[in-house]
Amino acid sequence: MLTRQISLSAPIFLFIFLVQEAVVNQFKLPGGGFSLFVIFALVWAVISTPEIAALTGFGAGILMDMSQSAGGPVGQWTLIMIIICYGVSYLSYGDGNINGNPVGVVFFVVIANLSTGLLFLASSALLGVTTGGFGQILLTLLGNSLWTLALTPIVLPAFSFLHNFVFETRSVL
Amino acid sequence: MRYGGEGRTRLLLIILIVTALFLITLDLRGVAVLDGARQGTQTVLSPFQKAGNFILSPVKNFLTDVTHLGRTRNQIEKLRADNAKLKADLINRKNADAQLKQLESILDLAGTAGYKVLNTRVISQGSSQSFSQTVTIDSGSNAGIKKNMTVLSQSGIAGVVKDVYPTTALVMLATDPSFKIGVRIAGTQQIGILSGRGSRSGSLQLLDNLTTVKVGDVLLARGSVANRPFVPGVPVGYVTAVDNSAGEIAQSGTVRYYTNFGGLGVVAVVVAASSTNPGDALVPPKPVPTPIPTVTVYVTPSPSPTK
Repeated sequence: MLTRQISLSAPIFLFIFLVQEAVVNQFKLPGGGFSLFVIFALVWAVISTPEIAALTGFGAGILMDMSQSAGGPVGQWTLIMIIICYGVSYLSYGDGNINGNPVGVVFFVVIANLSTGLLFLASSALLGVTTGGFGQILLTLLGNSLWTLALTPIVLPAFSFLHNFVFETRSVL
Repeated sequence: MRYGGEGRTRLLLIILIVTALFLITLDLRGVAVLDGARQGTQTVLSPFQKAGNFILSPVKNFLTDVTHLGRTRNQIEKLRADNAKLKADLINRKNADAQLKQLESILDLAGTAGYKVLNTRVISQGSSQSFSQTVTIDSGSNAGIKKNMTVLSQSGIAGVVKDVYPTTALVMLATDPSFKIGVRIAGTQQIGILSGRGSRSGSLQLLDNLTTVKVGDVLLARGSVANRPFVPGVPVGYVTAVDNSAGEIAQSGTVRYYTNFGGLGVVAVVVAASSTNPGDALVPPKPVPTPIPTVTVYVTPSPSPTK
C-alpha cells in the first residue's frame, strides 16, 4: 500500500517541482510571486495524516533544497517543510471543519505558507543567510500570502483530486 | 490537536528532523556530495528551463508591460506614439530586436573597456521564496564561465556569477541583499561600498569621513584583485539621495542602479578584463535635451496691392 502511494506521489511531486522551476520561475511577478510547489506540498499535508504530512514535508523540502535558487544550505528547506507540514496536519487532522472544507484548507495553507516564510527567516538568521531589509521582507511575505490566497482555491480541486487518486479516499474538495 | 500522535509518528518525525539537521551540518561543513546533488538537479532542470523560457517569452514580455503600466503612464503615452510608427516593423521581430538591442549595448560597453565577454540569455528568474534575487543564464562551465565573474547588462553591472553548472550558471543580481561591491565616484575617485536592498536602489556607504557625495554622482565598480569578482570601471548607478545624519561616521546615500533588473533578457559574463583600467571611460552620457527648431518668417508688403 505504502509502496503504491509513494510510487504515485513521487512523480506528481517531481512534475509540480518541474513546473515551478521551468514555468513559474520564468515570471517576475509583483509582490515576490508565489511558489506553486509550496502550495501543493501544503495542500497535500493539510488533507493527509500527520505521518504522511511529515514524509511529504521531507520529500518536498529535499526537492526545494536541490533547487539552485534555494538560498541557504541543503537541509534548511527540508527542516522547515517537515515542521510546517507536520504542524498543519497535526492541527487539522480529523477535524472535518478544516480538512473537509475548502475554506478551511485555503485558510490553513495561507497561514502555513506565511509560517514557512517566517521560519525560513528565523533559521536564516541562525545559519547566517542574508535575507534583506525589513521592508522588502514584509513585502515578500505579504505578496506571497496574497498570491497563495488567490491561487489556492483555483488549484485546490486538482490537487485534492490527485490526493484522492493516490490515497484512494472518496471525499473530493 | 485532534491527532493522537502515536509513538510511531513521533519517531518518524524525530528521524526526519535529525536527517534534515544532519544535511545542514554536512552542507555547512562543505561536503562535496551535496554540491554534486544540486549540480545534478540543475543539469537535469536546465533543458526544461530553456524550453520554458523559449515558450513563455511572449507571455513574459506581456506581463512585464502590464506590471509597469501604472508607474510610467507619461512614458507610456510617449512610447505609444513611437510604437504606432514602428508597429509594422516590430510585429514579427519584437522579441529578437529587444535582445539584439541589449546585446549591442553590452558589446559597446565591453568594447569600450576592452573586456572579453561571453553573451548569454537569461532563462529563469530565481524564486523569491528564499528572499534572494538571482537569475539563471544558459551558459556554464562548458563555455568557460567560472564562479565570481562579473555579469554585465546593457547599461552596467547586473551581478556576479554565484554558482556554475556545466550548461547553466546562477547569477546573484546586484539587488540581492547579500550583494556588496566596492565602488568609486566618477571624477572625484572617492570610494565606498554599495549593498543591494532587494529593489532597484542600493545603499552606498562612503569609507572616508572627509569625502562627500552629492545627488547625481555616478558610481563605477572599483575592481577586485585579479579582476574577480569585479572588473574595474563598470557603471553601477547614480546617487539619488544623500544621508547627512550627524551620527554617521561617513556619508551614506541611496543609489539607483542603471540596470533594469525586471527586463533582463541578455547579459554578458566578463571572462577576461583588459590589462589597463578603463577609468571613467564607461560613464554613461547625460541625456541632452533636444533643441526645438524655431522658424522666423519675414513678410514684406508688396508695392502694389494684389487684385
